[in-house]
Amino acid sequence: MMKVTVRLFGTLSQKFPGYDPVKGLEVEIPDGARVKDLLAHLGIPEIKGGVAAVEGMILKLEDPLRDGASVHLLQAVYGG
Amino acid sequence: MKFLKVNMSKKSVQFQEVPKDYVGLGGRGLTSVMINTEVPPKCDPLGPENKLIFAPGLLSGTNLVNTSRLSIGAKSPLTGTIKESNAGGTVAAALGHLGITAIIVEGQAPKGDLSILRIDEKGEASLLPAQAYKGMRTYAFAKKLLEAYGEKTAILCIGPAGESQLTAASVQTTDIDGRPCRAAGRGGLGAVMGAKGLKAIVVDQRGKNADAIADSKTFNDAAKVFAQAIKAHPFSGQMLPALGTAGLVAPVNSLGAFPSYNATKGVLEGWEKISGENMAKIITERGGKTTHMGCAQCVVHCSNEYVDKQGKYMTASLEYETIWSMGGMTGITDLDVIAKLDYLCDDIGLDTMSTGVAVAVAMDAGKAKFGDGEAAIRMVEEVATGTQFGKVLGNGPAAVGKHLGHHRVPVVKGQSIAAYDPRGMQGNGVTYATSPMGADHTAGNVIGEYLSGALDPLKADGQVAASRNVQIAMAAVDCTGLCLLASFALTTPEGGQAFLTAMNAKFGTSFGPDSIPGMGIKVLQAEREFNRKAGFTSKDDRLPEFFYKEPLPPHNKVFLISDADLDSTFNF
Repeated sequence: MMKVTVRLFGTLSQKFPGYDPVKGLEVEIPDGARVKDLLAHLGIPEIKGGVAAVEGMILKLEDPLRDGASVHLLQAVYGG
Repeated sequence: MKFLKVNMSKKSVQFQEVPKDYVGLGGRGLTSVMINTEVPPKCDPLGPENKLIFAPGLLSGTNLVNTSRLSIGAKSPLTGTIKESNAGGTVAAALGHLGITAIIVEGQAPKGDLSILRIDEKGEASLLPAQAYKGMRTYAFAKKLLEAYGEKTAILCIGPAGESQLTAASVQTTDIDGRPCRAAGRGGLGAVMGAKGLKAIVVDQRGKNADAIADSKTFNDAAKVFAQAIKAHPFSGQMLPALGTAGLVAPVNSLGAFPSYNATKGVLEGWEKISGENMAKIITERGGKTTHMGCAQCVVHCSNEYVDKQGKYMTASLEYETIWSMGGMTGITDLDVIAKLDYLCDDIGLDTMSTGVAVAVAMDAGKAKFGDGEAAIRMVEEVATGTQFGKVLGNGPAAVGKHLGHHRVPVVKGQSIAAYDPRGMQGNGVTYATSPMGADHTAGNVIGEYLSGALDPLKADGQVAASRNVQIAMAAVDCTGLCLLASFALTTPEGGQAFLTAMNAKFGTSFGPDSIPGMGIKVLQAEREFNRKAGFTSKDDRLPEFFYKEPLPPHNKVFLISDADLDSTFNF
């Protein structure tokens, strides 16, 4: 198993009562887990436009995560 | 379908039928085609030959939701190019209800003379003296106008910056609640309004003389489907009502593309304090409104009311681009200070983006330290008090850079970039470089491509095509009056079809999906032609040198798109 820190943005934190935006969520997932596995673990449906960023790079659903990663889960945005 | 022609030299107002060459045009399509046809390209933007055109979109004033954008067009005193700046609020719908296709302001009043253009419930227009309001800031002015003409009045007005013809001056417009907090900010069109001698346009919202709809039943049915598509879209249906456009602070910082400290870093230290998530938390704790209807017929409600610790109104609406310019670029991470700066800009009648970037350039040049909120407030106040530096600041970042001898000035054709660094989002750099408007995110924002994973923001491949496609799409959307933030529903099959059906039902046409890009291309061609005649060449379609030479942390990339590729952007 590996640990990743997940920070939730947009409206994604609404389904996690007591979510602390400073600490984020500590999540334990199997070694070799991919972004889609993390979303499934958290119950965030892919179709809602959930996207992940690690160290400033956008990850795709099939991209693997590494132990200790700080993952930003974002919602797709189109312009401001 | 009629034009209201206002001649400020003669102080005359006259309605006329829309000439056949302009029939079928609306919004940006109308302003840009008319400027290209009628305004001498090399004229003084602040002189009598320039025209200031106010055009609601093709669908403004109908019951199709989110169609209350007003296009304001002229030759820009900031960029020297053609300009369309658009704003929400209530004026576009009010003009639509009166069947007014455009207001065209020509000529120039004698120096020091100031007027208000009033259009009443019956659609009758008159020019009224406005000397009593000279120098008045927009909040106090709007209050006076609402007292004089009634609560059901939509207002467009300028503040002291516009009266002083400063080239970062905005045209402010009132929201649903009668506050002049929405702006056509870009391009200095407030200065053109000031040069004309026009302090305000007031339009009664109770008009009942809208243009006929060819097939109203089909139109109404399609309008219902389109409203549902907007609400069903995750961005316009969930994200924007919850956080407004401020929801972009997190994604753009997470991608390392948030221009910070005058575009020297791609991540702002402490950005979480000014994120949409934290803004919503603060507003909720203080009893303000995280969700608010700002514009007529809006179902997105991306607006908000930011309040102070006592729950007292500070500003509406605090938006992403302002949070960036007044926060990211200046290093200010206190939302209360940013809200104060936003209010000041609205009240003085200044583009928050150009002004924030101008402050950042001044800070970078050593006039104040990054993060010094009090210094930023003082600088912006100086615009209204009319000090020498205030006048420089009110003319935007290029003027500040020149005044202080500073090289790092993030502008294209004289207009500041927006909240996406071209080194971290290369396609947005293509848009900044090539848009006929100067650097302008609303002309073609590529961010959706990056967050969906369709395009790598840090590589050159595919950026020109992506920018071209969104520039065409946005030019078309800007013709219709549809809000950019609702327009993403067009990308869904049901939303796109419903919108097309509504367009055809209104005009009795049979446009297919391919007609829409054609409309955008026609607009861009007119704008490019005007700029060519005004003396602009491909050499003007470039970013400032530092974007090519100074790598942006954290990715340490420079702008990678070659000149030849930039020059292929408009190979339609």
